Amino acid sequence: MVLQNAIADALNNTEWAFALAECLHIGGFAVGIGSIALVDFRMLNLGLRQQTPARILRYTEPWTLIALLFIMFSGLALFSSQPGVYRINLIFPIKMYLLLAALLYNFTVHRKVATMEKPPPALSKFVAIVSLLLWVSVVFGGIFTGFLV
Amino acid sequence: MDIAHSIQSIDFLTEFSESVLAYPIVLSTHLTCIALFGGMILATNLRLLGLTFKDVTITQMVTSFRSWKRLGGTVMVATGVLLAASEAEKYSPNPFFWTKMIVLGLILAHGAIFRRSVYSNTEELDRSPVIPVPAKVAAILSLILWTAMFTMGRLIAYWD
Repeated sequence: MVLQNAIADALNNTEWAFALAECLHIGGFAVGIGSIALVDFRMLNLGLRQQTPARILRYTEPWTLIALLFIMFSGLALFSSQPGVYRINLIFPIKMYLLLAALLYNFTVHRKVATMEKPPPALSKFVAIVSLLLWVSVVFGGIFTGFLV
Repeated sequence: MDIAHSIQSIDFLTEFSESVLAYPIVLSTHLTCIALFGGMILATNLRLLGLTFKDVTITQMVTSFRSWKRLGGTVMVATGVLLAASEAEKYSPNPFFWTKMIVLGLILAHGAIFRRSVYSNTEELDRSPVIPVPAKVAAILSLILWTAMFTMGRLIAYWD
């Protein structure tokens, strides 16, 4: 509670702190979702075809994890600055459920199929499309949180 | 200012900026481009710096993503033009908006300047025992420019 108030004060009193948290949030998802999309594009046979999805996942997973940390900390800071506003927002909880679904999916189904030796091509493509749709819907949810109260 | 007013008064742009759904959908699409293509830009630059994807050649990296980056850039610019034109009066005095446009110009110039030595010269880069300096300079500048790009984009909202 004390921590939350301290963060809220810093973000409310220094306009730049809120802007910085927003920039970290955007930079974070550019890297986080962008690195997952690299695996998805490969699973859809649309990029880096010379490599296996598993190999691309091995390279990009550390970026995804680091970026997710940035996204979560900056997101928590943004939330703590005006929790009341987010609590009554109709879109925000939907965004959070989508985020939870995207995270669970990414580290279970997506990971499993991306690392399979020879997955059926249709399965691979389906899993990649669901992954892209989930992450894109999280981005849409974030923007709509700011527009539809 | 008059020009800005005339632009945003174009019927469909007025309707667009006042629409409850159209404006946030286009803004979300603008940001989705960052999410989908940010990874490609980062991967290419880190590969040029020799930091990751070491068993992927630079040629594979650059050619594999070229058309996707072009598609992403086109959607980004198209949605960006729509967003800025619909609120032209608000954008025209905004220093962050103009800084962002300068950064956009620098990104285009960057592509043109390094085309010959880096982006159209990837086979030579792959043959070189160490990654040549221009490739690393191009990668670092690209990372700086793209960071400036999304930061300025966000800061546009903070000018009143």
